[in-house]
Amino acid sequence: MAKRIEVKDLDIYYDKFLAVQGVSMTIQPRSITALIGPSGCGKSTFLRTLNRMHELVPNARVDGKIFMDDEDLYGPGVDPVSVRREIGMVFQRPNPFPTMSIYENVAAGLRLNSTRIKKADLDELVERSLRSANLWEEVKDRLNRPGSGLSGGQQQRLCIARAIAVQPGVLLMDEPCSALDPISTQAIEDLMLELKSDYTIVIVTHNMQQAARVSDVTGFFNLRGVGQPGELVEIDETTKIFSTPSNKATEDYISGRFG
Amino acid sequence: MREAYHVELENLANNLAGMSSQVADAMERATRAMLEVDLELAEQVISDDVKVDDARAECEEQAYALLALQAPVATDLRTVLAAIHAAESLERMGDLALHVAKAARRRHPEPVLPDAVRSYFSEMGEVAVRLARQAEQVIKTRDVDAARTIESDDDRVDDLHRHLFTVIMDKEWPHGVASAVDVTLLGRFYERYADHAVSVARRMVFVVTGKMPGYTSDDI
Repeated sequence: MAKRIEVKDLDIYYDKFLAVQGVSMTIQPRSITALIGPSGCGKSTFLRTLNRMHELVPNARVDGKIFMDDEDLYGPGVDPVSVRREIGMVFQRPNPFPTMSIYENVAAGLRLNSTRIKKADLDELVERSLRSANLWEEVKDRLNRPGSGLSGGQQQRLCIARAIAVQPGVLLMDEPCSALDPISTQAIEDLMLELKSDYTIVIVTHNMQQAARVSDVTGFFNLRGVGQPGELVEIDETTKIFSTPSNKATEDYISGRFG
Repeated sequence: MREAYHVELENLANNLAGMSSQVADAMERATRAMLEVDLELAEQVISDDVKVDDARAECEEQAYALLALQAPVATDLRTVLAAIHAAESLERMGDLALHVAKAARRRHPEPVLPDAVRSYFSEMGEVAVRLARQAEQVIKTRDVDAARTIESDDDRVDDLHRHLFTVIMDKEWPHGVASAVDVTLLGRFYERYADHAVSVARRMVFVVTGKMPGYTSDDI
Protein backbone atom coordinates (compact mmCIF):
# COMPACT_ATOMS: atom_id res chain seq x y z
CA MET A 1 0.00 0.00 0.00
CA ALA A 2 1.43 3.33 -1.06
CA LYS A 3 1.79 5.70 1.86
CA ARG A 4 1.67 9.45 2.12
CA ILE A 5 4.56 11.27 3.74
CA GLU A 6 4.29 14.58 5.51
CA VAL A 7 7.43 16.43 6.57
CA LYS A 8 7.10 19.34 8.97
CA ASP A 9 9.87 21.84 9.79
CA LEU A 10 12.63 19.31 9.56
CA ASP A 11 16.16 20.34 10.60
CA ILE A 12 18.89 17.80 9.98
CA TYR A 13 22.14 17.78 11.94
CA TYR A 14 25.50 16.07 11.73
CA ASP A 15 26.53 16.49 15.35
CA LYS A 16 26.39 20.28 15.88
CA PHE A 17 26.43 21.09 12.18
CA LEU A 18 23.03 22.03 10.78
CA ALA A 19 23.08 20.46 7.32
CA VAL A 20 19.50 21.04 6.20
CA GLN A 21 17.04 23.51 7.63
CA GLY A 22 13.30 23.93 7.74
CA VAL A 23 12.06 21.40 5.22
CA SER A 24 8.31 20.98 4.98
CA MET A 25 6.65 19.00 2.21
CA THR A 26 3.89 16.55 1.49
CA ILE A 27 4.67 13.55 -0.66
CA GLN A 28 1.57 12.08 -2.21
CA PRO A 29 1.05 8.34 -2.51
CA ARG A 30 1.26 6.74 -5.93
CA SER A 31 3.35 9.55 -7.33
CA ILE A 32 7.00 10.16 -8.10
CA THR A 33 8.66 13.06 -6.35
CA ALA A 34 12.07 14.09 -7.65
CA LEU A 35 14.55 16.03 -5.54
CA ILE A 36 17.12 18.03 -7.46
CA GLY A 37 19.82 20.48 -6.49
CA PRO A 38 23.58 20.96 -6.51
CA SER A 39 25.94 18.57 -4.70
CA GLY A 40 26.12 19.12 -0.98
CA CYS A 41 22.74 20.83 -0.70
CA GLY A 42 21.41 18.05 1.51
CA LYS A 43 18.93 16.31 -0.75
CA SER A 44 20.42 12.84 -0.16
CA THR A 45 20.73 13.60 3.53
CA PHE A 46 17.07 14.57 3.55
CA LEU A 47 16.13 11.38 1.69
CA ARG A 48 17.90 9.31 4.33
CA THR A 49 15.93 10.92 7.12
CA LEU A 50 12.73 9.63 5.55
CA ASN A 51 13.55 6.04 6.51
CA ARG A 52 15.68 6.84 9.52
CA MET A 53 18.94 5.91 7.88
CA HIS A 54 20.46 9.30 8.61
CA GLU A 55 20.87 8.43 12.28
CA LEU A 56 23.18 5.54 11.35
CA VAL A 57 25.89 8.23 11.10
CA PRO A 58 27.33 8.78 14.60
CA ASN A 59 25.81 11.84 16.32
CA ALA A 60 23.49 12.53 13.43
CA ARG A 61 20.00 13.62 14.38
CA VAL A 62 16.92 15.51 13.28
CA ASP A 63 14.49 18.04 14.69
CA GLY A 64 10.95 18.28 13.37
CA LYS A 65 8.34 15.77 12.33
CA ILE A 66 7.90 13.18 9.63
CA PHE A 67 4.61 11.36 9.33
CA MET A 68 3.89 8.35 7.17
CA ASP A 69 0.13 8.43 6.83
CA ASP A 70 -0.67 9.03 10.52
CA GLU A 71 2.38 7.40 11.99
CA ASP A 72 5.03 9.66 13.52
CA LEU A 73 8.25 8.10 12.21
CA TYR A 74 10.34 9.71 14.93
CA GLY A 75 7.80 9.13 17.69
CA PRO A 76 8.88 7.52 20.94
CA GLY A 77 9.01 3.77 20.77
CA VAL A 78 9.14 3.62 16.97
CA ASP A 79 11.61 0.97 15.87
CA PRO A 80 13.87 2.39 13.12
CA VAL A 81 14.20 -1.08 11.63
CA SER A 82 10.47 -1.34 11.10
CA VAL A 83 10.52 2.11 9.47
CA ARG A 84 13.21 0.91 7.06
CA ARG A 85 11.13 -2.14 6.28
CA GLU A 86 8.17 0.05 5.39
CA ILE A 87 10.30 2.53 3.44
CA GLY A 88 12.69 0.79 1.07
CA MET A 89 15.78 2.29 -0.46
CA VAL A 90 17.73 1.87 -3.67
CA PHE A 91 21.20 3.35 -3.87
CA GLN A 92 23.37 4.94 -6.51
CA ARG A 93 25.63 1.94 -6.97
CA PRO A 94 23.82 -1.37 -7.33
CA ASN A 95 24.66 -3.31 -4.17
CA PRO A 96 23.35 -6.86 -4.39
CA PHE A 97 24.68 -9.09 -1.64
CA PRO A 98 27.75 -10.36 -3.47
CA THR A 99 27.84 -13.91 -2.16
CA MET A 100 24.12 -14.54 -2.55
CA SER A 101 22.32 -15.92 -5.58
CA ILE A 102 19.80 -13.86 -7.47
CA TYR A 103 17.03 -15.74 -5.69
CA GLU A 104 18.55 -15.25 -2.26
CA ASN A 105 19.09 -11.55 -2.89
CA VAL A 106 15.39 -11.02 -3.44
CA ALA A 107 14.45 -13.39 -0.59
CA ALA A 108 16.89 -11.82 1.87
CA GLY A 109 14.56 -9.14 3.15
CA LEU A 110 11.69 -11.56 3.43
CA ARG A 111 13.75 -14.03 5.42
CA LEU A 112 14.86 -11.28 7.79
CA ASN A 113 11.38 -9.98 8.31
CA SER A 114 9.28 -13.09 8.65
CA THR A 115 10.44 -15.97 10.74
CA ARG A 116 8.53 -18.68 8.94
CA ILE A 117 7.65 -18.65 5.31
CA LYS A 118 6.84 -21.63 3.14
CA LYS A 119 9.15 -22.39 0.27
CA ALA A 120 6.29 -22.20 -2.24
CA ASP A 121 5.19 -18.79 -0.91
CA LEU A 122 8.75 -17.55 -1.02
CA ASP A 123 9.13 -18.78 -4.61
CA GLU A 124 6.01 -16.93 -5.56
CA LEU A 125 7.08 -13.69 -3.85
CA VAL A 126 10.52 -13.81 -5.44
CA GLU A 127 8.99 -14.31 -8.86
CA ARG A 128 6.45 -11.57 -8.35
CA SER A 129 9.12 -9.14 -7.17
CA LEU A 130 11.41 -9.95 -10.08
CA ARG A 131 8.49 -9.55 -12.48
CA SER A 132 7.62 -6.19 -10.94
CA ALA A 133 11.22 -5.15 -11.39
CA ASN A 134 11.08 -6.22 -15.07
CA LEU A 135 13.90 -8.66 -14.46
CA TRP A 136 12.15 -12.02 -14.34
CA GLU A 137 12.44 -12.90 -18.04
CA GLU A 138 16.18 -12.19 -17.99
CA VAL A 139 17.04 -14.25 -14.90
CA LYS A 140 14.38 -16.93 -14.49
CA ASP A 141 16.72 -19.63 -15.81
CA ARG A 142 19.62 -18.71 -13.55
CA LEU A 143 18.09 -17.83 -10.21
CA ASN A 144 20.82 -19.68 -8.37
CA ARG A 145 23.68 -17.82 -10.00
CA PRO A 146 25.30 -14.98 -8.03
CA GLY A 147 23.62 -11.62 -8.26
CA SER A 148 26.99 -10.00 -8.79
CA GLY A 149 27.21 -11.72 -12.19
CA LEU A 150 24.48 -9.53 -13.65
CA SER A 151 25.08 -6.34 -15.63
CA GLY A 152 24.94 -3.02 -13.77
CA GLY A 153 21.44 -2.26 -14.97
CA GLN A 154 20.25 -5.76 -14.08
CA GLN A 155 21.87 -5.50 -10.65
CA GLN A 156 20.04 -2.25 -10.04
CA ARG A 157 16.74 -3.86 -11.00
CA LEU A 158 17.66 -6.76 -8.70
CA CYS A 159 18.08 -4.24 -5.88
CA ILE A 160 14.69 -2.77 -6.73
CA ALA A 161 13.20 -6.29 -6.68
CA ARG A 162 14.81 -6.84 -3.27
CA ALA A 163 13.44 -3.53 -2.01
CA ILE A 164 9.88 -4.20 -3.17
CA ALA A 165 9.86 -7.87 -2.10
CA VAL A 166 9.02 -6.80 1.45
CA GLN A 167 6.16 -4.73 0.04
CA PRO A 168 7.10 -1.35 1.44
CA GLY A 169 4.78 1.65 1.32
CA VAL A 170 7.44 3.98 0.05
CA LEU A 171 10.46 3.53 -2.19
CA LEU A 172 13.39 5.90 -1.89
CA MET A 173 15.92 6.07 -4.71
CA ASP A 174 19.21 7.88 -4.36
CA GLU A 175 20.52 8.57 -7.85
CA PRO A 176 19.54 5.10 -8.98
CA CYS A 177 20.70 5.58 -12.57
CA SER A 178 23.88 7.59 -12.25
CA ALA A 179 26.05 4.49 -12.62
CA LEU A 180 24.02 3.11 -15.52
CA ASP A 181 24.14 3.47 -19.31
CA PRO A 182 21.20 5.14 -21.13
CA ILE A 183 19.48 1.85 -21.99
CA SER A 184 19.57 0.57 -18.40
CA THR A 185 18.52 4.04 -17.27
CA GLN A 186 15.51 3.90 -19.53
CA ALA A 187 14.62 0.46 -18.16
CA ILE A 188 14.73 1.82 -14.60
CA GLU A 189 12.71 4.89 -15.56
CA ASP A 190 10.06 2.73 -17.24
CA LEU A 191 10.03 0.57 -14.13
CA MET A 192 9.55 3.59 -11.88
CA LEU A 193 6.54 4.68 -13.91
CA GLU A 194 5.05 1.21 -13.54
CA LEU A 195 5.82 0.99 -9.83
CA LYS A 196 4.20 4.30 -9.02
CA SER A 197 0.75 2.74 -9.32
CA ASP A 198 1.60 0.75 -6.17
CA TYR A 199 4.22 2.78 -4.37
CA THR A 200 5.13 6.25 -3.29
CA ILE A 201 8.48 6.98 -4.94
CA VAL A 202 10.98 9.64 -3.98
CA ILE A 203 14.04 9.96 -6.16
CA VAL A 204 17.15 12.06 -5.77
CA THR A 205 18.72 12.76 -9.13
CA HIS A 206 21.38 14.95 -10.66
CA ASN A 207 19.88 14.32 -14.05
CA MET A 208 17.36 17.09 -14.50
CA GLN A 209 16.00 15.56 -17.68
CA GLN A 210 15.33 12.43 -15.68
CA ALA A 211 13.43 14.42 -13.08
CA ALA A 212 11.46 16.06 -15.89
CA ARG A 213 10.75 12.72 -17.58
CA VAL A 214 9.60 10.63 -14.65
CA SER A 215 8.42 12.76 -11.78
CA ASP A 216 5.05 14.29 -10.99
CA VAL A 217 6.43 16.71 -8.45
CA THR A 218 9.91 18.23 -8.29
CA GLY A 219 11.57 19.76 -5.26
CA PHE A 220 14.61 21.99 -5.63
CA PHE A 221 17.15 22.03 -2.78
CA ASN A 222 19.89 24.60 -2.56
CA LEU A 223 22.46 25.89 -0.10
CA ARG A 224 21.44 29.17 1.45
CA GLY A 225 25.08 30.24 1.13
CA VAL A 226 28.63 29.03 1.63
CA GLY A 227 28.85 27.22 4.97
CA GLN A 228 25.10 27.62 5.46
CA PRO A 229 22.54 24.86 5.65
CA GLY A 230 20.70 23.47 2.66
CA GLU A 231 17.01 24.24 2.25
CA LEU A 232 14.05 23.29 0.13
CA VAL A 233 13.73 26.31 -2.16
CA GLU A 234 10.68 25.31 -4.13
CA ILE A 235 8.50 22.29 -4.66
CA ASP A 236 5.76 22.12 -7.25
CA GLU A 237 4.37 20.12 -10.12
CA THR A 238 7.19 19.08 -12.41
CA THR A 239 5.66 20.81 -15.44
CA LYS A 240 5.54 24.04 -13.44
CA ILE A 241 9.13 23.71 -12.19
CA PHE A 242 10.49 23.15 -15.70
CA SER A 243 8.32 25.74 -17.45
CA THR A 244 7.63 28.61 -15.09
CA PRO A 245 9.28 28.08 -11.70
CA SER A 246 8.36 30.68 -9.07
CA ASN A 247 11.84 31.10 -7.70
CA LYS A 248 14.72 32.63 -9.63
CA ALA A 249 17.26 30.30 -8.02
CA THR A 250 15.24 27.35 -9.33
CA GLU A 251 15.16 28.78 -12.83
CA ASP A 252 18.89 29.52 -12.73
CA TYR A 253 19.62 25.98 -11.63
CA ILE A 254 17.46 24.16 -14.18
CA SER A 255 18.68 26.46 -16.97
CA GLY A 256 22.31 25.89 -16.09
CA ARG A 257 22.86 29.46 -14.88
CA PHE A 258 24.84 28.70 -11.78
CA GLY A 259 28.40 28.25 -10.60
CA MET B 1 27.74 28.11 -16.38
CA ARG B 2 26.77 26.93 -19.85
CA GLU B 3 28.54 29.83 -21.49
CA ALA B 4 28.36 28.82 -25.16
CA TYR B 5 24.70 27.92 -24.81
CA HIS B 6 23.74 31.30 -23.43
CA VAL B 7 25.73 33.07 -26.11
CA GLU B 8 23.76 31.07 -28.69
CA LEU B 9 20.46 32.06 -27.06
CA GLU B 10 21.51 35.70 -27.14
CA ASN B 11 22.47 35.41 -30.80
CA LEU B 12 19.06 34.04 -31.56
CA ALA B 13 17.35 37.02 -29.92
CA ASN B 14 19.75 39.41 -31.70
CA ASN B 15 18.96 37.88 -35.07
CA LEU B 16 15.28 38.28 -34.37
CA ALA B 17 15.77 41.94 -33.45
CA GLY B 18 17.80 42.31 -36.64
CA MET B 19 14.93 40.88 -38.68
CA SER B 20 12.52 43.38 -37.11
CA SER B 21 14.80 46.19 -38.11
CA GLN B 22 15.08 44.80 -41.66
CA VAL B 23 11.33 44.55 -42.15
CA ALA B 24 10.79 48.01 -40.66
CA ASP B 25 13.26 49.43 -43.18
CA ALA B 26 11.62 47.44 -45.97
CA MET B 27 8.16 48.81 -45.19
CA GLU B 28 9.45 52.32 -44.77
CA ARG B 29 11.12 52.25 -48.19
CA ALA B 30 8.26 50.37 -49.86
CA THR B 31 5.81 53.02 -48.63
CA ARG B 32 8.04 55.81 -49.86
CA ALA B 33 8.54 54.08 -53.21
CA MET B 34 4.78 53.81 -53.56
CA LEU B 35 3.95 57.36 -52.50
CA GLU B 36 6.81 58.99 -54.39
CA VAL B 37 6.61 56.72 -57.43
CA ASP B 38 10.25 55.76 -57.01
CA LEU B 39 11.05 52.71 -59.14
CA GLU B 40 14.63 52.36 -58.00
CA LEU B 41 13.65 52.28 -54.36
CA ALA B 42 10.91 49.72 -55.08
CA GLU B 43 13.45 47.51 -56.85
CA GLN B 44 15.74 47.75 -53.85
CA VAL B 45 13.05 46.58 -51.47
CA ILE B 46 12.20 43.70 -53.82
CA SER B 47 15.77 42.50 -54.10
CA ASP B 48 16.43 42.89 -50.35
CA ASP B 49 13.59 40.59 -49.32
CA VAL B 50 15.77 37.52 -49.79
CA LYS B 51 17.87 38.73 -46.85
CA VAL B 52 14.84 38.53 -44.56
CA ASP B 53 14.09 35.04 -45.85
CA ASP B 54 17.69 34.02 -45.14
CA ALA B 55 17.56 35.49 -41.64
CA ARG B 56 14.39 33.54 -40.93
CA ALA B 57 16.03 30.30 -42.11
CA GLU B 58 19.01 31.05 -39.89
CA CYS B 59 16.80 31.72 -36.86
CA GLU B 60 15.03 28.42 -37.39
CA GLU B 61 18.27 26.52 -37.73
CA GLN B 62 19.65 28.10 -34.58
CA ALA B 63 16.46 27.32 -32.68
CA TYR B 64 16.49 23.74 -33.93
CA ALA B 65 20.10 23.25 -32.88
CA LEU B 66 19.42 24.69 -29.44
CA LEU B 67 16.48 22.32 -28.96
CA ALA B 68 18.46 19.34 -30.19
CA LEU B 69 21.67 20.00 -28.29
CA GLN B 70 20.88 22.02 -25.18
CA ALA B 71 17.47 20.83 -23.99
CA PRO B 72 16.43 24.33 -22.93
CA VAL B 73 13.83 24.69 -20.16
CA ALA B 74 11.71 27.47 -18.63
CA THR B 75 12.54 30.96 -19.97
CA ASP B 76 15.15 29.55 -22.32
CA LEU B 77 12.66 27.14 -23.82
CA ARG B 78 10.09 29.90 -24.23
CA THR B 79 12.72 32.06 -25.93
CA VAL B 80 13.41 29.34 -28.48
CA LEU B 81 9.73 28.60 -29.10
CA ALA B 82 8.90 32.29 -29.39
CA ALA B 83 11.80 32.82 -31.78
CA ILE B 84 10.51 30.13 -34.14
CA HIS B 85 7.06 31.73 -34.25
CA ALA B 86 8.28 35.31 -34.32
CA ALA B 87 10.71 34.58 -37.15
CA GLU B 88 7.82 33.37 -39.24
CA SER B 89 5.76 36.49 -38.49
CA LEU B 90 8.70 38.71 -39.33
CA GLU B 91 9.26 36.93 -42.61
CA ARG B 92 5.61 37.50 -43.49
CA MET B 93 6.05 41.18 -42.66
CA GLY B 94 8.95 41.28 -45.09
CA ASP B 95 6.76 39.66 -47.76
CA LEU B 96 4.01 42.22 -47.20
CA ALA B 97 6.50 45.06 -47.66
CA LEU B 98 7.58 43.23 -50.82
CA HIS B 99 3.99 43.23 -52.09
CA VAL B 100 3.74 46.98 -51.58
CA ALA B 101 7.00 47.50 -53.48
CA LYS B 102 5.79 45.24 -56.30
CA ALA B 103 2.57 47.23 -56.60
CA ALA B 104 4.65 50.39 -56.95
CA ARG B 105 6.76 48.73 -59.64
CA ARG B 106 3.75 47.33 -61.51
CA ARG B 107 2.09 50.72 -61.97
CA HIS B 108 5.25 52.67 -62.63
CA PRO B 109 5.49 55.38 -63.97
CA GLU B 110 1.89 55.93 -62.87
CA PRO B 111 1.24 56.29 -59.14
CA VAL B 112 -0.57 53.34 -57.58
CA LEU B 113 -2.72 55.46 -55.36
CA PRO B 114 -5.23 58.14 -56.24
CA ASP B 115 -4.54 61.37 -54.37
CA ALA B 116 -7.70 60.94 -52.31
CA VAL B 117 -6.23 58.02 -50.31
CA ARG B 118 -2.54 58.98 -50.22
CA SER B 119 -2.73 60.47 -46.76
CA TYR B 120 -4.29 57.30 -45.31
CA PHE B 121 -1.48 55.18 -46.68
CA SER B 122 1.10 57.66 -45.55
CA GLU B 123 -0.21 57.32 -42.02
CA MET B 124 -0.68 53.54 -42.16
CA GLY B 125 2.90 53.23 -43.39
CA GLU B 126 4.16 55.41 -40.58
CA VAL B 127 2.32 53.49 -37.87
CA ALA B 128 3.22 50.09 -39.34
CA VAL B 129 6.92 50.95 -39.43
CA ARG B 130 6.73 52.29 -35.91
CA LEU B 131 5.15 49.02 -34.75
CA ALA B 132 7.98 47.01 -36.30
CA ARG B 133 10.56 49.25 -34.60
CA GLN B 134 8.72 48.84 -31.30
CA ALA B 135 8.73 45.08 -31.79
CA GLU B 136 12.49 45.28 -32.24
CA GLN B 137 12.78 47.14 -28.94
CA VAL B 138 10.53 44.65 -27.19
CA ILE B 139 12.71 41.78 -28.44
CA LYS B 140 15.79 43.57 -27.12
CA THR B 141 14.39 44.72 -23.79
CA ARG B 142 11.70 42.10 -23.06
CA ASP B 143 9.59 45.00 -21.86
CA VAL B 144 6.09 43.64 -21.34
CA ASP B 145 4.49 47.08 -21.01
CA ALA B 146 5.99 48.21 -24.29
CA ALA B 147 4.63 45.02 -25.87
CA ARG B 148 1.15 45.99 -24.74
CA THR B 149 1.50 49.45 -26.29
CA ILE B 150 2.02 47.80 -29.65
CA GLU B 151 -1.37 46.21 -29.31
CA SER B 152 -3.12 49.54 -28.80
CA ASP B 153 -1.14 51.25 -31.60
CA ASP B 154 -2.28 48.51 -33.93
CA ASP B 155 -5.86 49.69 -33.44
CA ARG B 156 -5.01 52.84 -35.39
CA VAL B 157 -4.02 50.77 -38.43
CA ASP B 158 -7.24 48.76 -38.14
CA ASP B 159 -9.28 52.00 -38.03
CA LEU B 160 -7.57 53.37 -41.13
CA HIS B 161 -8.01 50.04 -42.90
CA ARG B 162 -11.72 50.05 -42.16
CA HIS B 163 -12.08 53.66 -43.20
CA LEU B 164 -10.53 52.91 -46.61
CA PHE B 165 -13.48 50.68 -47.40
CA THR B 166 -15.94 53.50 -46.96
CA VAL B 167 -13.85 55.61 -49.33
CA ILE B 168 -13.75 52.89 -51.99
CA MET B 169 -17.40 51.97 -51.63
CA ASP B 170 -18.46 55.54 -52.22
CA LYS B 171 -20.75 55.72 -55.28
CA GLU B 172 -18.76 58.70 -56.44
CA TRP B 173 -15.44 56.77 -56.48
CA PRO B 174 -14.00 58.08 -59.72
CA HIS B 175 -10.85 55.99 -60.16
CA GLY B 176 -12.20 52.77 -61.60
CA VAL B 177 -12.18 49.14 -60.54
CA ALA B 178 -8.44 48.46 -61.00
CA SER B 179 -7.55 51.26 -58.66
CA ALA B 180 -10.14 50.13 -56.13
CA VAL B 181 -8.61 46.66 -56.15
CA ASP B 182 -5.14 48.11 -55.64
CA VAL B 183 -6.29 50.23 -52.73
CA THR B 184 -8.14 47.31 -51.14
CA LEU B 185 -5.19 44.97 -51.38
CA LEU B 186 -2.64 47.53 -50.25
CA GLY B 187 -4.78 48.49 -47.27
CA ARG B 188 -4.95 44.81 -46.38
CA PHE B 189 -1.15 44.47 -46.64
CA TYR B 190 -0.62 47.19 -44.06
CA GLU B 191 -3.27 45.81 -41.78
CA ARG B 192 -1.70 42.33 -41.90
CA TYR B 193 1.77 43.73 -41.42
CA ALA B 194 0.71 45.52 -38.24
CA ASP B 195 -1.06 42.41 -37.01
CA HIS B 196 2.10 40.36 -37.37
CA ALA B 197 4.03 42.99 -35.40
CA VAL B 198 1.48 42.55 -32.61
CA SER B 199 1.97 38.79 -32.80
CA VAL B 200 5.74 39.19 -32.43
CA ALA B 201 5.22 41.38 -29.37
CA ARG B 202 2.85 38.82 -27.87
CA ARG B 203 5.45 36.12 -28.29
CA MET B 204 7.84 38.22 -26.25
CA VAL B 205 5.22 38.62 -23.53
CA PHE B 206 5.05 34.83 -23.51
CA VAL B 207 8.83 34.62 -23.07
CA VAL B 208 8.66 36.85 -20.00
CA THR B 209 5.43 35.73 -18.34
CA GLY B 210 5.03 32.15 -19.51
CA LYS B 211 1.43 32.87 -20.43
CA MET B 212 0.48 31.44 -23.79
CA PRO B 213 -0.43 34.29 -26.11
CA GLY B 214 -3.90 34.57 -27.54
CA TYR B 215 -5.84 32.59 -24.97
CA THR B 216 -7.76 35.62 -23.87
CA SER B 217 -7.17 39.00 -25.43
CA ASP B 218 -7.65 40.58 -21.99
CA ASP B 219 -4.46 38.95 -20.76
CA ILE B 220 -2.23 40.85 -23.10
